[in-house]
Amino acid sequence: MMAEPAAPGSASAPGSLPVPVTVLTGYLGAGKTTLLNRILTERHGRRYAVVINEFGELGVDNDLVVESDEEVFEMNNGCICCTVRGDLIRIVGGLMKRRDKFDGIIIETTGLANPAPVAQTFFVDEGVRQKTRLDAIVTVVDAKHLPGRLEDSHEAADQIAFADVIVLNKTDLVSAEELEAVEERIRGINRFARIHRTERAALPITDVLDQSAFDLDRVLAEVPDFLTEDAHEHNDDVTSVSFELEKPIDPERFNAWISVLLAEKGQDLLRTKGILSHAGEDRRFAFQAVHMIADGGFIGPWREGEPRTSRLVFIGRNLNRPQLRRGFESCQAG
Amino acid sequence: MGESATADALLSTRGESRALEAFVVAAAFERGGRFCAFALGDGTLSIVEPAAKSEWRSVAVHEGAVLALVPDVTPGAFLSGGDDGAFRRTTAGGAAADIARFGARWVEHAASYAGAKDTGLSAVSVSRNVHLFDAAGARLKTFEHKSTVSGIAFDAKGKRIAASHYNGVSLWFVAAKDASPRELEWKGSHIAVAVHPDGDAVVTAMQENALHGWRLSDGQHMRMSGYPAKAESLSFSRRGKWLASSGADAIILWPFFGGGPMGKAPLELAGGDGVLCTRVACHPTHDAVAGGFADGLVVLADIDSGRVLPVAAPGRGTVSALVWNADGTRLAFGTESGFAAIVDFAKK
Repeated sequence: MMAEPAAPGSASAPGSLPVPVTVLTGYLGAGKTTLLNRILTERHGRRYAVVINEFGELGVDNDLVVESDEEVFEMNNGCICCTVRGDLIRIVGGLMKRRDKFDGIIIETTGLANPAPVAQTFFVDEGVRQKTRLDAIVTVVDAKHLPGRLEDSHEAADQIAFADVIVLNKTDLVSAEELEAVEERIRGINRFARIHRTERAALPITDVLDQSAFDLDRVLAEVPDFLTEDAHEHNDDVTSVSFELEKPIDPERFNAWISVLLAEKGQDLLRTKGILSHAGEDRRFAFQAVHMIADGGFIGPWREGEPRTSRLVFIGRNLNRPQLRRGFESCQAG
Repeated sequence: MGESATADALLSTRGESRALEAFVVAAAFERGGRFCAFALGDGTLSIVEPAAKSEWRSVAVHEGAVLALVPDVTPGAFLSGGDDGAFRRTTAGGAAADIARFGARWVEHAASYAGAKDTGLSAVSVSRNVHLFDAAGARLKTFEHKSTVSGIAFDAKGKRIAASHYNGVSLWFVAAKDASPRELEWKGSHIAVAVHPDGDAVVTAMQENALHGWRLSDGQHMRMSGYPAKAESLSFSRRGKWLASSGADAIILWPFFGGGPMGKAPLELAGGDGVLCTRVACHPTHDAVAGGFADGLVVLADIDSGRVLPVAAPGRGTVSALVWNADGTRLAFGTESGFAAIVDFAKK
């Protein structure tokens, strides 16, 4: 019935930058609250609004602590795994009424939370999109108990799969060999997150905040050993695979392929990220998705002399490597 | 410049305004009709008596942001909820007092109904609960829901209160001894609610940029879609002939006569420049509607003729509050950037 929506950002006052949001996940007892207390007590000159599920654990007096029930709502948009955190949509809207009182928002999830609805909220809800930017998902894991958690729940692997930053905590409770083994296990699930080993969640907060991990131009900024073959297969159901193509991509073919792929396999594809070289285009195209919800756009130009390779990363379950490779290869131009 | 000057003519000749420097969350006229209050993101109310050209009195009422503001049941005061968990009453003279405190939970929505002498009611929503109060501020009862309440509205007679939430609306009889609501179900997240003036329809705004309605007499569903954005601001015209809403680049009006809105296209007023309408307020005595836009433009549109009268020019921030006084002689509006104004529409 109606015309196009107003251009994104047109509703916000000039100069009001989107608020960075950090999502803090991790099992009960992993050290999430310890990390949160560190962030809030350290003298960094920043003020954070904190969204938590239960008071009591938090030892810090912060007048911008918001207590919330995690309310996961299904969207009626024909997308079966599209869920959002209804409470966050309300809370972000409420906090924006006192925007000048804080520099960032930290959202603590419950131990068993699936991170997808939180992440999808920042892609799906237009109001939240305009006023905030998802900075990073930070997952705190317990070096000693993680292997056990991975055995008895999906959520532990999901939290690692979604993470941009992993705080591998309680390293003092395990031997050097156990620590290597647990880090290997994490890498098997998500090779692309930054891992910080800590005791009592002690680390510089600059390792956790202001990561810009969801900014399109940072999507694959720090991919380690990209060219090496994927880590050996685990029995863990969540893995990550990556592909590179030398020849440029035909954007129409890529869109056709990725949209069908996300629609069909989106429930298994937890996160997808890519930098693409479009045929006849001097700028890099960045792409990312959380389950079926995708976002993409041109970022800065390819650097002089830089090889224009297209790279694509999948983190998820039941990843059929040959099939994904063939699909990606079929997107090459010409 | 010329256009802007014209668009501002009403504001400059018949309005008074202030830069309040905090997000204007809501505006309300108290039931005596003399005073207007603006609720702000810094926790204050700014109260003014426009006819007397009074000073704008700033009253610190909440510790965080004010989240909801309505007139008190009785004249001369306002009711507000805040993110400090407080539900408070503030007199036009600036005396604020607690009605209730709800700890760390936000008092997100408020509604009031002025009945005959001392029979008025007020209500607030806090998390999953709606708390009902009498005219003196004593708590009468609490209605519980399965998910967080996203909007509340009394019907025109103050007999029922509607609460929107995930998967529908609960409609409660306020006087019922054993409280069990009529559940109006529709899958999805409902984010605001309005009750038709004749009490036979309830409409919600939905997360998916659509409205959903229920006709109470026969349970008929009404689905009104096609919005580019959320239609959070809803307002029925004086006798319920039209439902106005925000959420598009025009004021959207759905016909609630001749069988209702099903299968019909809405009327679109004051559109055409691609800017999102963010607030609507139907005039209390005429079939006219005021609309506020994302660029700060405020207009008054006559529904029958479609004629549009500019009230305030763009440029002062996204309109976030818009309300008429009871006899429709004054329109108050405020913006996200803290601009607040009252325009006089009385015959001179």
